[in-house]
Amino acid sequence: MDFVLLMSRLQFAMTAFFHFLFVPLTLGLSTISAIMLTLYYSTNKEIYKDMAKFWAKLFAINFALGVATGLVHEFEFGMNWSVYSRFVGDIFGAPLAIEGLLAFFMESTFIGVFLFGWDKLPRAVHLLGAWLSSIGSNLSALWILIANGWMQHPAGAKVAETLAGKRAELADWWAVVFNSVADIKFWHTTTAGMILSAMFVLSISAYHLLKKQHVEFFKRSAYIALVFGFIASVGEIVIGDLHAHEVTKTQPTKLAAGEALWESKSHANISLIVWADESAQKNVVEIPLPIPGLLSLLGAHNPNAEIKGIKDLQAEFESKFGPGDYIPPVNFCFWAFHLMVYLGFYFVVLFALGLKKFENLENSTGYLKLAMYSLPLPYIACWLGWAFAEVGRQPWIVYPLVDNYGEFVLPEIGLKTAQAVSPLTNVEVVITYVLFILVFVGLAMADFYLLAKFAARGPEKEAELY
Amino acid sequence: MHFDLPTIWAILVTILITGYILTDGFDLGVGILHTIIAKDDIERRVMLNAIGPVWDGNEVWFITAGGAAFAAFPELYAALFSSLYIALFVVLLALIFRAAAFELRSKEESESWRSFWDKAIFLSSFVVALLIGVAVGNILAGIPIKNMATEGDMLSGFVYAEKFPISFLNLINPFTFHGFFGILVGIATVLFVILHGVAWLIWKTEGVIAERARSVGLKLWLPFVIMYVVCTALAYKISFKVSNPDLIRFLNLPEDMLNAIAQKLNNGVLEHALFRFPGLEIALIVLAAVCSVVYFTAVKNMQGAKAFAFSILTFLFAGFAVMFGAYPLAVPSSLGLEHSISIYNGCSSTLTLTVMLVAALIFTPIVIAYQSWVYKMFLFKISTESIKKEIEEAKA
Repeated sequence: MDFVLLMSRLQFAMTAFFHFLFVPLTLGLSTISAIMLTLYYSTNKEIYKDMAKFWAKLFAINFALGVATGLVHEFEFGMNWSVYSRFVGDIFGAPLAIEGLLAFFMESTFIGVFLFGWDKLPRAVHLLGAWLSSIGSNLSALWILIANGWMQHPAGAKVAETLAGKRAELADWWAVVFNSVADIKFWHTTTAGMILSAMFVLSISAYHLLKKQHVEFFKRSAYIALVFGFIASVGEIVIGDLHAHEVTKTQPTKLAAGEALWESKSHANISLIVWADESAQKNVVEIPLPIPGLLSLLGAHNPNAEIKGIKDLQAEFESKFGPGDYIPPVNFCFWAFHLMVYLGFYFVVLFALGLKKFENLENSTGYLKLAMYSLPLPYIACWLGWAFAEVGRQPWIVYPLVDNYGEFVLPEIGLKTAQAVSPLTNVEVVITYVLFILVFVGLAMADFYLLAKFAARGPEKEAELY
Repeated sequence: MHFDLPTIWAILVTILITGYILTDGFDLGVGILHTIIAKDDIERRVMLNAIGPVWDGNEVWFITAGGAAFAAFPELYAALFSSLYIALFVVLLALIFRAAAFELRSKEESESWRSFWDKAIFLSSFVVALLIGVAVGNILAGIPIKNMATEGDMLSGFVYAEKFPISFLNLINPFTFHGFFGILVGIATVLFVILHGVAWLIWKTEGVIAERARSVGLKLWLPFVIMYVVCTALAYKISFKVSNPDLIRFLNLPEDMLNAIAQKLNNGVLEHALFRFPGLEIALIVLAAVCSVVYFTAVKNMQGAKAFAFSILTFLFAGFAVMFGAYPLAVPSSLGLEHSISIYNGCSSTLTLTVMLVAALIFTPIVIAYQSWVYKMFLFKISTESIKKEIEEAKA
């Protein structure tokens, strides 16, 4: 692979992964701390005030780096993917601009009201600030996922030529906004943020309950987290299924790779464990789930439907787009997808178990330890999901428009990742890649150090100041 | 000038960029002054808390300006950000450090921790202001981009014709006109954000910090005015050559604009390229100068709100002088005028511009309304005494 292309891909993946260390917690914890603040203002109980302050402080430490790492992405499209940017800008730029205008301003302005407004502003204004910053951050996820969803399923577009070259142009704005792939991605991602944040609150609460300190404070926090997390994780199973259904309809190569399905099959089955020999185009290890037709049922909502396999898809894409490799890496996609799903089921069990044991939670040492050490898992699940979504899209940066389980609607809009990169030099991409890694690792370490420090300290009286 | 969608969007993007310099500008200025006028930890915390509740919302102007440029002028977004790759990267790193520094600095007692982040705040604020100015200066003087569609390459768009390390070092090479001009505009920008920060500190704080801010403002005002005059005089000299007149249609300009430019060509060179509407230019520059004088008297009399308002007006007039000077070009090419990005060959389709305009007309006033409302709520004065008191009260 071309060096600049390779480095640009690695850099985008790396910066995106760092960004997603902070984003899901922002999405969910803003809501959780707004709930606590609401409880305080409606019940006037000091404990809810301390809870809102404590979790909001952790939220703030996390938030700053979410903003800082997010800033990079807005500009990285133009920096490293100039051909992509000019090709899609007519459509892709609009949701990004609207994200800033509609969501990001709201989130960032009102977060100041929430974090700095304690005892200085009227209660109603303070509470409004907390909720508007939470709504703002979730709205910003909506517009980003509309942009991302369009790369997966470029609806509402046509291809046109201008005096600067060929490009995708907007044909139907509402088709871009109500793109079925984008909208399900939004629910999938924000719900993941809620699960992650619930786990964050639960696991820090478990740490303190294990030490038998601030028991009432952290038991109440854990209860909110358990209820919130249980609802979100059960909802995510349903949303995840709908999402997979959309992928089957619109991105057949991604689904086939994610299920390691080499041959087209009706009544297709889901494998629990697979190891594929990608050059020999077959699975060396394959342990199927004992539910026949499950993949056809989930993917196409019909147990007898045919699901296209990798070999047929490769042939079909070759006849349409010429020679090339149209299948993303199979083992990678299968495991990214499947591990994420397995983790999703684990979260349901974990939250359900916690609710069941809640009465005597502070003495359920085993459960508390399990909850505490589960903290990294939702982060990993989020990363795996993104890795599957973006690696599964390859070799395309804009997937050719496909609908109805593999029917080409607008194939000429497809743009390959290899065509999309900026004309940069090797030195330039090496400099930015290395410095981004160093800076992000350094900042993430400083950030986690502070998160750990304040989380371990528990609630205490301190001025809300810089 | 035509009052069409590309022109409206050129004005809107200018507003967003000046909006960024005006909002984040004062906290950049406070960041630069952070280690200079605050002597101890409490004083530094006064500075930081003067911008604490608002800097994050301010920075969104940068993101929104970037997003709007992407949506309305995708060719400009793609060409500029890949051409200025390293420079933009440095700006991003600085903004990242700044955001982290604000949040992390006071969360740890140790002196070396705090002094590390203090340095980060100073350096990052300085670098952001400087490099934004350098980039603007270079763009106005023309950067070596080539419209690849003129050669039948329908995918690459506008491509930077020189390669790294030249691409970055060229921006700050004082031996080229654009590099020299870029540095001067950069310095003028740094001076402006400091003065803007001074106005904010006089408005928002009282006691030693406000007094020291005032004396910095009085000292730096004249250097800023001189830099502004020098930059304007140099801008008057900027000219662009036309290498291949047959390709000029690639600018996609309306007929009358094309004719207007053709008439001003002198041996294939467009002289005084940024002063094609001298009346308008001079009016805007004079207005900027007048506002700057009012700013000076306001600082002298410790009128923070007035100083802040007039430093905003100074920059607005200066910013629009730049935009109308370049109009209808967005990024002039130093290889030949015909390779430039104009607002007509670089813009999005009519449908996209319309959709975006509707969104902007609805949401921009709402954003400005609630941002001003939040500003107003946080306008109570702070000082070393009030910060000390707050820290003690919380502990009690």
